Amino acid sequence: MNENFKISPSEINKIKILNQKDKNFRLENLKLFNQQGFPSRSQEDWKFSDINQIFSKNFKNLESFKNEIKPKSINFIKEFDHNHILMVNGKLENSEFKFEDKNKIKIKSYNESNFSINKEENSLINLNNALSNNGLFLEVVDNYRFEKAIIIYNIFTDDLKDNLLNNKNKIILGKNSELHIVEYNINQSKNKFIYNTTENVILNENASLKTINLQANQNEGFFYKFSKGKMKSNSNYASFIFSSGPKFNKIDAEFDLEGENCDCNIKSALFINKDKHQEIKTKINHLVPNCKSYQKIKSVVDAEGKGVYQGKIYVKDIAQKTNAYQLSKALLLSENSEFNSKPELEIYADDVKCSHGSTSGSVDENSIHYLMTRGLSKKQAIRLLVNGFLNEIIGDIKSNSIRKFIENKIEIQIHGY
Amino acid sequence: MLVIKNLKASINNREILKGLNLKINPGEVHAIMGPNGSGKSTLANVLSGKNGYKISGEVKYLGESLNDIPVEERAQKGIFLAFQYPLEIPGVNTNNFLKTSLNTIKKARGEKEIDTIAFLKLVKDKAKELGIDEKILSRQLNVGFSGGEKKKNEILQMKILDPNLIILDETDSGLDIDALKIISDGVNSSRSEKKSFLVITHYQRLLEYIKPDHVHVLSDGKIIKSGSSDLALELEKKGYKKLN
Repeated sequence: MNENFKISPSEINKIKILNQKDKNFRLENLKLFNQQGFPSRSQEDWKFSDINQIFSKNFKNLESFKNEIKPKSINFIKEFDHNHILMVNGKLENSEFKFEDKNKIKIKSYNESNFSINKEENSLINLNNALSNNGLFLEVVDNYRFEKAIIIYNIFTDDLKDNLLNNKNKIILGKNSELHIVEYNINQSKNKFIYNTTENVILNENASLKTINLQANQNEGFFYKFSKGKMKSNSNYASFIFSSGPKFNKIDAEFDLEGENCDCNIKSALFINKDKHQEIKTKINHLVPNCKSYQKIKSVVDAEGKGVYQGKIYVKDIAQKTNAYQLSKALLLSENSEFNSKPELEIYADDVKCSHGSTSGSVDENSIHYLMTRGLSKKQAIRLLVNGFLNEIIGDIKSNSIRKFIENKIEIQIHGY
Repeated sequence: MLVIKNLKASINNREILKGLNLKINPGEVHAIMGPNGSGKSTLANVLSGKNGYKISGEVKYLGESLNDIPVEERAQKGIFLAFQYPLEIPGVNTNNFLKTSLNTIKKARGEKEIDTIAFLKLVKDKAKELGIDEKILSRQLNVGFSGGEKKKNEILQMKILDPNLIILDETDSGLDIDALKIISDGVNSSRSEKKSFLVITHYQRLLEYIKPDHVHVLSDGKIIKSGSSDLALELEKKGYKKLN
């Protein structure tokens, strides 16, 4: 059994704290974290990604704060027009909305204002409450539809090493507003560090949010992101996750469908190579009637890679006419590759359409043969099949310019195969 | 072009080809007919280099033994197999695939790769000849194609890759008369002194459209009878059983 990591309360003194209530909130949360340590496989939600073990294997010391340094030059995306927000090590650095009516957008560094203290099942949330001092608050007022997407450049500087960064973001879309975000993680550090994010998403009536999560490069980072979403009636959420690249990444999304006729979509295409570990976990709570949710997770695992999908659909007794669908497909390219999937349906209403499916297997030999009879080497054939497998998700991105950009990025990832 | 001597092939310890001999000269069209289970598709698979067969005997293509030549190199050297059941490849765009295939083969032959514009023109011309709706070429490879579209797509690949030895494995199965005619025309217009065809079929029907120079009857892993195109007609009347 590994000794739990303990974080000293003196770390909290390093944060510029506004008031005693805040300080108290942080100390209490740190205490709760220190009681539990990092989550381990003994918890159902972490049974395939024991980060207590993973972190203790990879880190001896963890330093929570860093002096601010400027990032090295950044390759901004030129392939399509966009607004941007620049975050450095989780801190809001600057933003530019040159295609938008700036009066319709509120943006600032995020500060916690809700100081209620709860012992979380997931100790990373307590840890985040205790130590996060940075983040993004973004609000779009009612009836404003963005002209162009926002790219959030999430830069991690090259001096990061054995650090534990905590950050909190909050995104609110007003009624009838619309926003498309590409979250683009650029990690300049060659070393190991942990980035623990908590994100709150609130979609008011008839709002529509599209997000794409993309990693720019292969790196040694350990990322965890917990997204909590609340959806009001007729709101629409569509998320694409292309988060391959870091050494470890877990994206944990929980969405409450609180108003009728919501549509919640989460799709993912991952290429997990080397000894990388990726988990996607979704929990969709259908709390009212007539909502739709759809999760489609496609993963390709190579070498010693490990992929995990845990998906739960909860349908409350009053949530009649729910339409919920979940599918996970995995391709294993090596004997040592591993994929674990745990689909769960918890349904208390009787007039619903819910289904789930999960498959994993190796690449079809007959398909490889077919492509090889057309002159392709085995490697080329597999690469094409892998690309095709993941393209089924990428093909669902409606914007042509963004889709092409993502296609290229994924092709580069696969090219390493 | 192709010389096969005493070819034996077994899979899972079951011998399927039991000593097959065949010689195809450049420019010739040979038909192989035979009942179900006689080894027709195995022959096609083995010639394509498919893994999983235990092989003895000799297969020579353009004077070179194929025994240790892997699948893709056979294709690069000009052997083409039109599949009985072309595979559906989800997520792979048909045009992109065709271009990758053509350029891989060109590269292996030391030829200059084709650029996108020239490629699209080539595909457009060949697709038109075969009455293929261009729209299907921007769809996923064979996914949702009708039986006829899949077979036409095989012939389109044949035309684009321009091979020397073409094996048609039951290309007529599942085709209506119109599609059969278009595909046969596509094959016939490709016939030349330099190209040879091995047409594998159950029925004489296809051979009314693609006239073979030689017809062979395959039964229980061996060629038991060879003759001119009249042999196909005789088989059609009498059936395979009478021959045994």
